[in-house]
Amino acid sequence: MPLLCMKQVCKSFGKVQANQKVNLTVERGEIHALLGENGAGKTTLMNILYGIYQPDSGSILMDDQPVSISSPGEAISLKIGMVHQHFMLVPTLSVSQNITLGIKERGYPFTDRKEVDRKITRVSREYGLDIDPTAIIEDLSVGVLQRVEIIKLLYHQAELLILDEPTAVLTPQETENLFAVLKRLKEDGRSIIIITHRIAEVQSIADRVTVLRDGARVGCDNIGNVGEARLSEMMIGRQLDTAVRETSHQNRLNEAAVLSLENVSLNGRNVNILSKLTLELKPGEILGLAGVDGNGQKELAEVIVGIRRPDSGKVLFEGNDVTILGVRKRKRIGMAYVPDDRHHDGLILDMDLSSNLILNAHDQPPFARFHFLNDQVRRRHAEQTITDYQVKTPGVGTLVRYLSGGNQQKIILARELDGIPKLIVASQPTRGLDIGAEEFVNKLLLAQRDRGAGILLISADLDQLIKLSDRIAVIFDGRITGLLNNHAGIDLAEIGLKMAGVA
Amino acid sequence: MRNQVKILGELGSMILIAAITALVGTILVLAVGADTGKAFGAFFSGILGSFYSFTEVLVRATPLILAGLGVAVAFQARFFNIGAEGQLYMGAIGATWAGLYLPAMPLYLHLGIAMMAGFLLGGIWAVIPGFLKSQYRIPEVINTIMFNYIAINIVGILVRTVMANKTSPLPMSPRLSDDLHLPFLADPTRLHAGLLVALVSAVLVYLFLYKTTWGFELRAVGNNPRASSCSGISVKKTIVISSLISGGLAGLAGGSEILGVHGRLMEGISPEFGYIAIIVALLGRNHPFGVVLAGVGIAALQIGATTMQRRAGVPASISLIIMGLLVVLILGRQYWIKSRST
Repeated sequence: MPLLCMKQVCKSFGKVQANQKVNLTVERGEIHALLGENGAGKTTLMNILYGIYQPDSGSILMDDQPVSISSPGEAISLKIGMVHQHFMLVPTLSVSQNITLGIKERGYPFTDRKEVDRKITRVSREYGLDIDPTAIIEDLSVGVLQRVEIIKLLYHQAELLILDEPTAVLTPQETENLFAVLKRLKEDGRSIIIITHRIAEVQSIADRVTVLRDGARVGCDNIGNVGEARLSEMMIGRQLDTAVRETSHQNRLNEAAVLSLENVSLNGRNVNILSKLTLELKPGEILGLAGVDGNGQKELAEVIVGIRRPDSGKVLFEGNDVTILGVRKRKRIGMAYVPDDRHHDGLILDMDLSSNLILNAHDQPPFARFHFLNDQVRRRHAEQTITDYQVKTPGVGTLVRYLSGGNQQKIILARELDGIPKLIVASQPTRGLDIGAEEFVNKLLLAQRDRGAGILLISADLDQLIKLSDRIAVIFDGRITGLLNNHAGIDLAEIGLKMAGVA
Repeated sequence: MRNQVKILGELGSMILIAAITALVGTILVLAVGADTGKAFGAFFSGILGSFYSFTEVLVRATPLILAGLGVAVAFQARFFNIGAEGQLYMGAIGATWAGLYLPAMPLYLHLGIAMMAGFLLGGIWAVIPGFLKSQYRIPEVINTIMFNYIAINIVGILVRTVMANKTSPLPMSPRLSDDLHLPFLADPTRLHAGLLVALVSAVLVYLFLYKTTWGFELRAVGNNPRASSCSGISVKKTIVISSLISGGLAGLAGGSEILGVHGRLMEGISPEFGYIAIIVALLGRNHPFGVVLAGVGIAALQIGATTMQRRAGVPASISLIIMGLLVVLILGRQYWIKSRST
């Protein structure tokens, strides 16, 4: 009899189907990995289990008894506990106060704090989770905070522990410690669900794995039955027959590079986001950057276009050091950026279409003279763009908010390509688009390449990379782990392994 | 079709808001035991009963429009300037100082310099929180409010010490020379050229916001600072500029009150103009022409209520209650529209 059984769970947010008929079974005393890319629906499924969201349909059974979990409080009383990716701790309170938050201990409101502290110490010793109950949360490092979160669950006597991307913020040593603790918990008869997109982790810790893709379950198997290659295939969803590459054009790989990165490093709060990354991009080529989301792709793009400054290393554009130039200057000399997050980074949703089209040329002629805007030129430019890019809109004065995703992306592309850039950084340019819009974007990128622009194409979609790229670089953990020429016989398994950081 | 429904909905909700405020106003008048006919008669005759009363509305509207424009500019840049009151007082200090202590010069030049001094001091008073927000992310809401207290008490200190009138025991500055006064527009009323300054400012603010590249950047930053910086607009610079202009306009309101109405610096020259300016900006939807209409409207409400108090014995505080209610209803309406459209 399994401990947990989720059956045919569906959940949608507006038009987005986050979970479609997902099944998940977790046995007692097992570590179950929930594997999938960002946006595959892992966290949504677990938030349903933890009572944060209510499923649209489907059922949850604990010990074969149907349960309805309408709040985290109920989840806790069913002995389910969750450690969120972003820790839920009160920074100004002590460890022991955080752990007992929401519980009325004996003697409440005059809780015997020393007694509670002793109990916490006992639990922490038992599982090797070394902690000082009197320490204040804001003084502790991320690795310790995670221990606090886990002890909190154990203190609540959780039988089923959900960990959302627990290793994302940990150093390798901390990860090793965490895994040792998880194994001890398993031996103790508790069940653990670990959400992750790292295949190597699944292999080293999990007993069974369920793979989600685009909100649906792709497969579930014992870890011994599936290899790394199979897992990456399931996760990324490459179909074996598509991906025919168009090979007609002549690349210019022997010319001088349009962009070179030399030992670029970027430090995060506790981890290195980019470490000594070196990469070259030639004019007239599409360099595909493959990698599982969250391995430094976005930060790399932002370092290239000047939104972020690297902590060390150099960015060279056509041989000139541009490391200290700001975004505006870099765009003026021929860089273009298509950000992955259209709504936050790319568009001003509550300004109209024509304004969004001139967002980085608004103070240049013909759009402005002596700092005065020329409305007529702007409107005519927008009308021309609507025709050229086949943008579907009621008019040039429409707020961008009311356009569809594909048309919004066309606005960004039209704006960025308007200056005839020499370098285009395109981050997930077709994410969330329907097939027609995707085709349009792909063709546009190929046309830009043929014109002689160097394109860095960042995509989690291997199909797209293989279809468009001249070369494919693989990024893992902020490093380039491989650089392959894209030809008909390219080794997909090799790319998959490099993406997972195991080769 | 969809647009028509939307416009109808907006119109309907506006009428509903007007109806609710009218209803609450009536209930309040009844509650204090006054004769409603007499009260409302007094209210409207206070506003439009005579040419003089109408000019009084415009005199009251002048500082509201100027400070309201300042608040609107800041709000468009998502710089929540709650400090127009303090900036107004600093502007009043600047104008008085320039009026009292600068050497003799042609009248209009002197008036112009005094108004500029008001703009400058008000601007500086807002740029400090603006700089702190853009450089160190210190919340401007708290800083601008605190700066109100500082400014008001600086006035208190000045009129008792360095700027005190030596010939009078009252805490106020010496009187500016009688010539140094913004020209009257309609003798014998109190209507002065400050109104023209306000109207011209509204036009300039409109041109600045909607016709210049700086205004474009300001609106872009206010709508989405992240996307603005991703496309190369300097968010920090934009916030500093918007706070300078915002405070400067509130400072002009102070200058206009000194040079057009009071003729000297003293405590209490602003019956919370700076706070009411927030309501004016909100009602005017942060658009300069909307601010002009809202400024006149709120001024009319206040003047009408004062007349109602004098003639029908209904406390003028009712106007404040109505204003508070208006704000809550308008905010509630925005929330309601938003939650229905998504």
